[in-house]
Amino acid sequence: MLSCPKMAADPRLAIVASSTPEPPPPPPPPPELSPMSILDLAVNTEERPEEGCAELPLDDSSYKLKFCTVCASNQNRSMEAHLRLATAPTSYPVISFGTGSLVRLPGPSITQPNVYSFNSTSYAQMYDELNAKDQRLYRNNGLLNMLERNKNLKWAPERFQDWVPGMPRIDHVAKGDKGSLGTEGGVVDVIITCEERCWDAVIEDLMNKGSPLNRPVHVFNVDIRDNHEEALIGSKAILDLADSLNEAASQERKSNGAEGWENGTGDARRSFDEKVPEILAAWQERWPNLLALWTLAWF
Amino acid sequence: MAQPTHNLGEQMAQLEAARNLVLGDAALYPQIVQGILPIIGVNARLELRRWGADFLAETFASPALATSQKEHLAGAVVLTLREILEQPAEDMAVIESMVQTAASLYPHIFRHIGNENYSIQHPEDVSTWENMTAIKQNILRRWDSAPHPIKICCIKFVQKAVQIQTPGTISDPRRPEQNETSLSIVPRNHVLLALPNLEAEASGLLDRLLTVFLENSDDAILVNATLNCLAVLIRSRPSVANKIILSILNFNPLKQANSPMTPPLRRFVILIAECEANHANGSGRNPNHPLVVKIQHYIDRLVQSRHEIFEEATRKRGLPVEPADVLDSAKRARLGVDTPPLIKVPPLPPGPTSISQLFTLTQDVGLSSFDVKQLPVDLIVKIAVPVLARVDQNALSQSIEAVRFRYQTLSKLQAAQPKAPVEDEEDDYEPEYQPTDVGGNANAIDEMVLDEVTELQPELMSLGPFVLPPPPPLTEEEAGNIGRGTVERIFDMLTSMDMPQKPTKGSNQQQLGFARLAASTFDRDAWITLLTRLATRASASVETDSKTEYDFATGNKLVISTTIREMLYRYIVEDFRSRINVGISWMNEEWYNDQIQLRYASMHKNDDTLVPLHYDCWVLRLLDGFLPYLDARDKVLIRFVSEIPKLTIPIVERVKSLARDPERVNLSVQALLYLVMFRPPARDMCLDALEDIYRIYEESRPVVGRVLSKWRPQEIDQPTDQTKQEGPSLLSPQANGIKSAVLLENVADPGSQVNAPVVQQQQQQYPEVGAAAG
Repeated sequence: MLSCPKMAADPRLAIVASSTPEPPPPPPPPPELSPMSILDLAVNTEERPEEGCAELPLDDSSYKLKFCTVCASNQNRSMEAHLRLATAPTSYPVISFGTGSLVRLPGPSITQPNVYSFNSTSYAQMYDELNAKDQRLYRNNGLLNMLERNKNLKWAPERFQDWVPGMPRIDHVAKGDKGSLGTEGGVVDVIITCEERCWDAVIEDLMNKGSPLNRPVHVFNVDIRDNHEEALIGSKAILDLADSLNEAASQERKSNGAEGWENGTGDARRSFDEKVPEILAAWQERWPNLLALWTLAWF
Repeated sequence: MAQPTHNLGEQMAQLEAARNLVLGDAALYPQIVQGILPIIGVNARLELRRWGADFLAETFASPALATSQKEHLAGAVVLTLREILEQPAEDMAVIESMVQTAASLYPHIFRHIGNENYSIQHPEDVSTWENMTAIKQNILRRWDSAPHPIKICCIKFVQKAVQIQTPGTISDPRRPEQNETSLSIVPRNHVLLALPNLEAEASGLLDRLLTVFLENSDDAILVNATLNCLAVLIRSRPSVANKIILSILNFNPLKQANSPMTPPLRRFVILIAECEANHANGSGRNPNHPLVVKIQHYIDRLVQSRHEIFEEATRKRGLPVEPADVLDSAKRARLGVDTPPLIKVPPLPPGPTSISQLFTLTQDVGLSSFDVKQLPVDLIVKIAVPVLARVDQNALSQSIEAVRFRYQTLSKLQAAQPKAPVEDEEDDYEPEYQPTDVGGNANAIDEMVLDEVTELQPELMSLGPFVLPPPPPLTEEEAGNIGRGTVERIFDMLTSMDMPQKPTKGSNQQQLGFARLAASTFDRDAWITLLTRLATRASASVETDSKTEYDFATGNKLVISTTIREMLYRYIVEDFRSRINVGISWMNEEWYNDQIQLRYASMHKNDDTLVPLHYDCWVLRLLDGFLPYLDARDKVLIRFVSEIPKLTIPIVERVKSLARDPERVNLSVQALLYLVMFRPPARDMCLDALEDIYRIYEESRPVVGRVLSKWRPQEIDQPTDQTKQEGPSLLSPQANGIKSAVLLENVADPGSQVNAPVVQQQQQQYPEVGAAAG
């Protein structure tokens, strides 16, 4: 397959290739460029390469799965996981949602929760309101700290059922939501819920939407209790799961065309999707206290 | 030669920029798609092909791009798609995205061709349809042999093909553009599309799709992928829904008990069943459809066998599985780990268990009855240390486990809670989205709270009975405070339940007559009755006894009844129009109580103990409370004065005083007239008042004149002349309230005789009210 022997033998090339780790995806381009001018550039610089040149080292190290974390109110568990996935060394593209009908936060008593609507009340607003209501109470039960974290991550809690998969999320990127780079397309590869009923809600909602995108998505559930400590532990477990999945996915990506796949043997021949159940099983052994579920659903 | 890498990076960046542009503005899609097609063709570099495939998949899936535009673009893209798919040894990721693209593309092409004028063959349509058919055949060929990622996309494509090539429902024949894409939109005699063939093909594809269930496949990925895409078929294609459901019911995931992913399957079946149930309801079919029953059976069976196989392990939020859980040897055996020798644990003897019995694991009678205390301590130490050092870890953990198990069973028995296991969360999960009616969620929240509380409650050991020490006796002040607090709470409740529910009153609740027991219905009226009686009667005799302490004016020694009166007063004045009936019933209670007290005093005590009378002062106060706010057309006043039990001159004076305001003259006159007509005992009093008004306020004359001409014709002429003589210039019809107030002082001598003492008295009694009214 080495139809470009010169290239393959050039040691400088290897250095160039390996020493240019792909920087994080470029920011959105300046809008004054007209679409055609961009395309002209693209066409002009293209040098129809020979077939074998596909062997150039690919920037697979930068290949990242896109994640989505889901809990009931898009406040504690999903946001903790959102933060962790977004700030991990690999900094995954990540978005997050809640499946409840309303955002519910604990109030002064168990029968008086603070209730907000999804998508329209920002974290900052909630923060200000609770801060004004009873600073001591909400500081002590951790709500203010949580909201402070959340408002630095994104603008407001989003409801899963209101999400239209595939709708561009350019505005979220523009607003600087953490982990939004890479999610412009409005789709993800993996959904991780934090509670079984959320998982049920997600699956049911995806079925209701009628899977118009024809795009598969792995839906996991990791059962996490809704408190700050468990959310912290759970987010570590989720990051672990994300790392394992991403590792397998980028490996598949590296296998470099059908030839690569054909040439591999045994485990290497097995695709990412096939490996998912085993990855989950291995993960479950590492985290025996967090019960997991999985399915392959459709956007 | 390092150039290409560089160029590639640049090129990718430009393509990404182009993508960002279309994501920002979907209108640019046609331009960009046309522009990139040459770049991402079969001869392009792998990265470009991958990017292009992903981009096309994204484009045709994007909800931002209008359907009509997709339809236009589809024709342009289909050839590229075919070329790439037919390229031998193509990259897996590229194929994956291309199959996805094809699945999204197919409906648009089908619709486009199906909608074309079917008698004319457009050459470009023919080639488009040919290409699409070739793509379809290509994908179907791949389906069996491809690696999994492609296979699942094939499954989705086939599902889409089945959906399109099966007749669907036509929602509105007049508006074809709104109908869902299906065989039904194509005319029977279409030139290109041979309907019977397509339908037959769809049926065959569906069978192939469903083989995964018929063969009891243990491939979790294929099973899941198929199950999850079938829901939409069940919903939108009733003609094949039955077939699909029956094959799913035929599927028994638990035959492969070692498959780790079976629990989720159960959920899908349930979900599909839900979809079916929805569908059945939606199309007006009988919800007791035999299929629904069948599904229920299937689910029950699955749940049961799942329980047998997985036991506690899959319980939602169960206790963390202890690593030392070796008692459960069945589980270990299946995982292929050799089981350590089991210690035989005898069952506990029946009856109450002592602690020593709880910890005794041996069945050796001699050993269990041996009293260790007989041995000297140093000997025990000598024995214990080496024994502990040599304890078999395994045996120890087993024994601990056994004792723990016994202990838990015991404590469960002691707690003896007949509570059902937590398995029904699905139902009470979320109330519907009701942002306007948060209160309506209260029940659901309460339930959740209850659940949580029971969940969190630790299994308490049975503690001995605990008796709280009796509280110290209350001082009078404390009692007063607490009493006030209670009353305040009742008023809070009153305000919250203020709107008496009309429908329940009118519809099924029969009207209670005189025979009813007051305050037995627990609605607003009942509480009002309770409060008014509490205020008037409860402390009546106490007040009489401790007369010296009672100081009404300052209210220092506030008796509880005064507090209640105070609050009743405030409550009524807050919204006197709707709460006037409360005021009336209160006044009736006051008057009644006064009468009872008087009679009681006259019967039992012949000395002149003063009976504190409340009616007179409170009725005036209440009247003063709302009089200033009365509107010229308020009927409240008439109602009030006609329904209170006793009219006094001060009351009539208050009503009369309304006539100072030229706007409310009529109100005052009407109220008095009503009293004249319907309260004969008060007639003279009221007529006097009317006479005064007639004499003083010129604007009242036309109305009052008519009344007086009927009742006191002799009075009409003389006073009219008087006022006319005294000052026609002063009493202009435009005289405002202030002027007439001044006139009242100067002119109305006969009235002021009555008026003055009353005002003084009132000011004595309620300095604060006098100030407020002033």
